Amino acid sequence: MKRLAAMVALATVALAGCGRKSQDGFTVAMMPKNKGNPYFVSCRKGAEEAAKELGVSLLWDGPTETDPAKQNEVVETWITRGVDVIAASVENRDGLATVLRKARAKGIKVVTWDADTAADARDVFVNQATPEGIAQTLTDRAASLLGGKGEFAIITASLTAANQNEWIKHIKARLAGKYPELTLATIRPSDDKQDQAFTEAQNILKVYPNVKLIMGISSPAVPGAAEAVKQADRRDVKVIGLALPNACKPYIHDGWIDSIVLWNTGDLGYLTVQVAHALGKGPLDPATFKAGRLGPVQVDGSQVVLGAPFVFDKGNVDQFDF
Amino acid sequence: MRSEARAREQALGAALAALLLLLAVAARGFFSAQNLRDLLLDNATVLIAAVGMTLVILAREIDISIGSQFAIAGVAAGTLYKLGLPMPAVVPVVLALGALLGALNGALVAWGLPSIVVTLATMAALREGLRLFTQGQDVLGLGAGFQWFGLGQQAGRAAIVAVAAAVFLAGAWALRSLAAGRAVYAVGSDAEAARLLGIPARRVVLSVFVLLGMLTALAGTLAAVRFPQVQTAAGMGLELEVIAAVVVGGTAVSGGRGSLVGTLLGVALLGTIGPALTFLRVSAFWEEALQGAIILAAVAGEGLRRVPAPLRVRRAVAS
Amino acid sequence: MSTTAAAALGPIRRARALGSWGHEGVVLALWLVELAVFAAIGHNFATAGNAFEILRTSTEVGLLALALTPVIVSGGIDLSVGSLMGLCAVLCGLLWRDAGLPIGVAAALALLAAGLAGALNALLVARLGLAPLIVTLGTYSLFRGLAKGLTAGVETYADFPAGFLFLGQGYLGGVVPVQLTVLAAAALGFGLLLHRTATGRSLQAIGFASEAARHAGVPVARTTATAYVFASLTAGLAAVLYVARVGQAKADAGTSYELMAITAVVLGGTSIFGGRGTVYGTVLGVLAIATLQNGLRLADLPVELTGILAGALLVGSIAVRRLFSGRSHS
Repeated sequence: MKRLAAMVALATVALAGCGRKSQDGFTVAMMPKNKGNPYFVSCRKGAEEAAKELGVSLLWDGPTETDPAKQNEVVETWITRGVDVIAASVENRDGLATVLRKARAKGIKVVTWDADTAADARDVFVNQATPEGIAQTLTDRAASLLGGKGEFAIITASLTAANQNEWIKHIKARLAGKYPELTLATIRPSDDKQDQAFTEAQNILKVYPNVKLIMGISSPAVPGAAEAVKQADRRDVKVIGLALPNACKPYIHDGWIDSIVLWNTGDLGYLTVQVAHALGKGPLDPATFKAGRLGPVQVDGSQVVLGAPFVFDKGNVDQFDF
Repeated sequence: MRSEARAREQALGAALAALLLLLAVAARGFFSAQNLRDLLLDNATVLIAAVGMTLVILAREIDISIGSQFAIAGVAAGTLYKLGLPMPAVVPVVLALGALLGALNGALVAWGLPSIVVTLATMAALREGLRLFTQGQDVLGLGAGFQWFGLGQQAGRAAIVAVAAAVFLAGAWALRSLAAGRAVYAVGSDAEAARLLGIPARRVVLSVFVLLGMLTALAGTLAAVRFPQVQTAAGMGLELEVIAAVVVGGTAVSGGRGSLVGTLLGVALLGTIGPALTFLRVSAFWEEALQGAIILAAVAGEGLRRVPAPLRVRRAVAS
Repeated sequence: MSTTAAAALGPIRRARALGSWGHEGVVLALWLVELAVFAAIGHNFATAGNAFEILRTSTEVGLLALALTPVIVSGGIDLSVGSLMGLCAVLCGLLWRDAGLPIGVAAALALLAAGLAGALNALLVARLGLAPLIVTLGTYSLFRGLAKGLTAGVETYADFPAGFLFLGQGYLGGVVPVQLTVLAAAALGFGLLLHRTATGRSLQAIGFASEAARHAGVPVARTTATAYVFASLTAGLAAVLYVARVGQAKADAGTSYELMAITAVVLGGTSIFGGRGTVYGTVLGVLAIATLQNGLRLADLPVELTGILAGALLVGSIAVRRLFSGRSHS
């Protein structure tokens, strides 16, 4: 035990020299649903750009796999640490509401971005697109490619992914309401892995020969499915989905992917930090709020709107780099 | 011991045959040339890692860090290629890196630390280290020179399957015919006895980990070149897939018993179940439960055959 | 029986004299170093509120780690506990919302299901004598798969009654998190089981030398089965607390918690080969990992370091123990 006590004492002395970091300055703590997902990685770039411009210090942290319990833990720690604004992309509405309310009660401003929580658990929601909007854009695109009838398949993230399941719900609603002749043949999981999406797409092509369109609704699923269609040389099958332009560019140019739907993810991160910063200085004034290089943006009650989802295709994809 | 292994291989072969028969009746499309080729290609990389894992488990050790090693190999291959290294130079560098990672595990284990703890630690540390290095970014835009080693789709596919076959055959031959192969069995059966017989047990342990590291790196590279981009998150859960295949294939986790033929059958059975369920149009939601049940059935069947007698003795002693 | 078990424990006592409290001492020292470092470089680290938060957020992994200690001490392993949390969470939500049962009854039935799951593991491991690694690898897929199948992956149960949520979100007297009492009770319970009962001594004897224990008259199968059933029941309890803390029940609850729990147990000085280990050490192991994660965050350091450092600490701690005791495993 003596030896241990000596070790502890030594280590303490050695490390106490590191000192405490200064705590002045404005701190925004920003949380993605999943740190490893390329989608959120690309949001982070814009967030850091805005943080640099505004001179705020940005903490970026979240679960490595989508996990509401981990999100809770991270927010709790930020409350303890003391930050000025928490900006969270919420994996589960109810899962995070309690702790975000707690943060507000302690005087921390709360912004949600990408996905919202209960309205009384946050000050502002930075909204890039509603689940309905995304589902409709995708379904309409699929319908127009298939001429309003036929079969298609979905490759999702994991079977339990909350966002994706929300989109699927709205896709099904859109099908029932507007495209009765369009059939969703199967939903397969990719667990956010490109090679799994590839294998699943290969199987879909063989098992469901009538499927003429594969819709990938997780960033790695779209290039994965496109590679499978390409390797099988099935020119009659189109791939669409939600994905990042850079990973899809070659497939879009070669015509395997018809188009992808997304918003400018960097701008979403940028806007979120701009809003967080403005909110820290006082209530948002819709008349005067300007989001840096994005200029004036639409403020709708307690929602800040990034803009409608954007469709990337052969004609415009090269103008984007994210 | 021999006959027991053979019985296991026969049971597995029968299970696989039954599954294929079911598919022949219910899902003809399964046997299309295209599907068989895709299956081969898909499982080639698993087989390569499983050959290495069989050696490690035969030597009575285990490695649960191969998923992280696999991802590192893929990302390293992509990054090196992007830095301008030609593919023929990328491969040996990545294999050397794999050997190094294997040696790290192997050295700690040979020194006397339990392999499951060591590789539990390196699994987390390597994965997080990779994440810190790439910041979660995938390696994009690798193009035709990287994909299929620049050989084109046809030749690239053939090369991957040929490499897997060569690894398997070389491994099976070495285990059976070389002194080194026998040494792996000996160390796994009884390390103390092996040492007394003059077998350098520690060097054997270190070697099997180095080999597994190299084979995992090879598998990671071959899996990566099927695509023009590499994911940082690749290989998550690979360790369970590979260990399950080896163990279902009849290699005992208590070491010293098992064969590569069994492993081949294990890879084939587990690799077929997934696609088979899709072909049989089973909902994806129940797939994982069925896979678990099949693994349990495979091992429980063996347990039921083996255990009753000692159990009776045990009960008699206990009461 | 206890006298025969005691006879079988002779060699264990001698082994203990070598290491004594050294195994736990390593992790205790580690934890103290963490506390000292993070108190120096973390924002608001050394506060009572933060101490309770660390404990609160490590309740579920802590429970699993406590329950795995007897299993690992007996020379076994259970990889299925994290998956079982998912299954029990889903059952709890399903029985409450879809079957219309009171939440208390639903939770009790989920615990019962956990007991049955444990009985399945126990049957295969203890009765049929199959390798626990493979058995629980199979049930790892089976339990998670059942959870996904039951909910078609999609279903999420939420809006639980406030009284139930209090279990996971409330504070007694406004300060002490409610679930902490459960964690403390479990630590005490498992401590008594492993260190103060005949069953506990038998588990150590089995882990140290299963064959010798059998000859000494230890009911090996029954004792081993007890450990697995307790592990599963505790996983069920962890699932209920998880649902109450997060406010939702979904099939992915507890994913990869088994690895965190095993890491904590081994860091706490329990030998992965069985025969030695203490509940006290496991508690320290859980604290060391939870503190590391919390402290890195409060010090604004990249959290990827948690995995890297936890890995290094794990290997470092067993290496130190190996140096001190001079014993090799093979």
